[in-house]
Amino acid sequence: MPQSSLTTGDIETVLTLFKDAGHDKVSPPILQPADVFLDLVGEDIRRRLFLTNGTDGEDLCLRPDFTIPVCRLHLENGAAAREAAYCYHGPVFRQRADGLGEIPQIGAESLGRNDFVAADADMLALSVEAVRRFGLSDLDIRIGDETLFVQVLKGLDLPVVWQRRLRDLFGDTEKLSEALSRMAGGEANKEDERRDVRLGFLSALEGSDPAAAHAVVEDLLSIAGISAVGGRTPGEIADRFLEQAQLANGAGSNPKAAEILRRYLAISGPADTAVRELRAFAAETGIDLSEPLASFSARLDALTAKGLATQTLTFAADFGRRLDYYSGFVFEIHGLNSPSDEQLVGGGRYDKLVRLLGAEAEVPAIGFSLWLDRIARITGAGA
Amino acid sequence: MSKLTIAIPSKGRLQENTHSFFGRAGLKIQRPGGARNYRGTVKGLPDVEIAFLSASEIARELSDGAVHFGITGLDLVHENIASPEKSVHIVTPLGFGSADVVVAVPKAWIDVETMSDLGDVASDFRNRHGRRLRVATKYVNLTRAFFASHGIADYRIVESAGATEGAPAADAAELIVDITTTGSTLQANNLKILADGVILKSQAHLVASLSADWSDTALAGAKAILDRVAAEEKARDNRVLKAAIADHGKALEALAAIASVQPFGNNEGQMLGVLCPKDSVADCARSLIQNGADTVTVETLEYVFTKENSLFSPLAEKLS
Repeated sequence: MPQSSLTTGDIETVLTLFKDAGHDKVSPPILQPADVFLDLVGEDIRRRLFLTNGTDGEDLCLRPDFTIPVCRLHLENGAAAREAAYCYHGPVFRQRADGLGEIPQIGAESLGRNDFVAADADMLALSVEAVRRFGLSDLDIRIGDETLFVQVLKGLDLPVVWQRRLRDLFGDTEKLSEALSRMAGGEANKEDERRDVRLGFLSALEGSDPAAAHAVVEDLLSIAGISAVGGRTPGEIADRFLEQAQLANGAGSNPKAAEILRRYLAISGPADTAVRELRAFAAETGIDLSEPLASFSARLDALTAKGLATQTLTFAADFGRRLDYYSGFVFEIHGLNSPSDEQLVGGGRYDKLVRLLGAEAEVPAIGFSLWLDRIARITGAGA
Repeated sequence: MSKLTIAIPSKGRLQENTHSFFGRAGLKIQRPGGARNYRGTVKGLPDVEIAFLSASEIARELSDGAVHFGITGLDLVHENIASPEKSVHIVTPLGFGSADVVVAVPKAWIDVETMSDLGDVASDFRNRHGRRLRVATKYVNLTRAFFASHGIADYRIVESAGATEGAPAADAAELIVDITTTGSTLQANNLKILADGVILKSQAHLVASLSADWSDTALAGAKAILDRVAAEEKARDNRVLKAAIADHGKALEALAAIASVQPFGNNEGQMLGVLCPKDSVADCARSLIQNGADTVTVETLEYVFTKENSLFSPLAEKLS
């Protein structure tokens, strides 16, 4: 199978488009430290990495994406917070069952811009234009925004455990809805039956003064002579033990909040109608969404100004990425008439990434990548 | 024209158990030149070749199709073969080498009893410690799949080749995924198994490779081997009951209500013989007496060969 049936001319056209928009072309190294990806993306990416070792035993991998290598390059070459825009073209490497794992990509990243809304709109519009230059015009553009979800969670006054659990699962619709069922009280009880023996003790603790209870648990651990606690401090274990006491006493099941979250997550449709639905949702539930909604609307206005009609964008409340450095606005572009529902473009805001890579503070950042193999397949099929 | 190749463990308890398993089936493994030789034969079956390999190699050779049969643990099959259901066929469990692959955490973690507890700890761990929770294991693939099925993503695997259970005490990891038979090593290292933390119940299995070169010679060899293995298995699991009874029909009807028995031997005159599952022997004997027998005798059998081979047929079907 040819790597990509797109011509060099097509690629150059798009690179020129990026350069004209102020993005400098960079070529980050193909060999990258594997640890960085396993730490940031999680163990799940390991089975897709092409792994190898340096002479000193360091685990190396072929880059599985461009975003992280480009950000590492950005950090190496100057102050983290400086404004910079990059573009790139080349292969990424991911193990896959069918075919070789060498996949051509082209894309752009923008770092350090503090005018978030305008940057979001610029980058989405740029990605749409890039896809069009490859000859595709019937596009299905999907958008999501985690800041809205986070605000809904905050507004529900949930126990910290549940806020964390749900936020962690955002982006994985199936796991998230399982967790909501547990929160609604369905499965939580089954699991807690195993804890029956300890429940009495837990409820006794729950009623007492938190500081005193904390001390009791910590004391118990030290009386037991337990020193090796596997990297967790007795205080930390006591914290969670008390958290469980709270959950065991009913703070865990919360059918009403689960219902509200389900309602929120079900919101989807053309972006302009979605805004109205989100406003109605906020009004009915009394959750204050004014801040994220203001940014959301401003972003849509900016996109309209760039020539992207908001009714052509599809918003889905449950659309997000289960990567914790993606912090807010995300988007995907699919072909409207393509036989499979593969994404042609994936993009989004990742303000936390540069700090996780070693910068002292968060740096606003947004970018996207085009899957050239998929685009080639669609344009090839149409020819 | 390739011979049937069977890979068996080359040393240790697994090897001894494997030899006695084949021995019970009347198959004598010969290793000319002793323990240094990595090829052997089976007495009386010239078209069968034995390859002596280390246990973890066997799973890989099976998935590569380099051997036809192999004896290996389920844990190694699932760890070393990407999609076992596509590349191998599990022929039969062998009744030895039982062990569980489990998730174990320090006993001091009184707040962690289940995988969902562990998920909570994992997602909070990075906030508190600035790094991900570490899991020491040699079962990288099993761990990843199991954690993913429980929705746990915030962890790092630390590969460990041996003495995994010591990793938490040595501060090389917070918890482990390891194989255990009795749990005593975990106990000794102050670790406990999570209530829903059993990833896999493993034991030694006879496994067939689906991608090996199954020539007619190899298939004939497989049939010869599996005939004997199945015959031995069936003989081990069944007994013959004999009694003098007037009404055979009624007695068989009564037996059918207890277990799946089949008439057996020369059932002319009063003498009735049935083949009966080992576990139901006493109940069946009682039933025969209630139906008119004075005495019931029970015999063990060496082999029970049947027309339909319950081990070979499913394999033949998968290969066709």
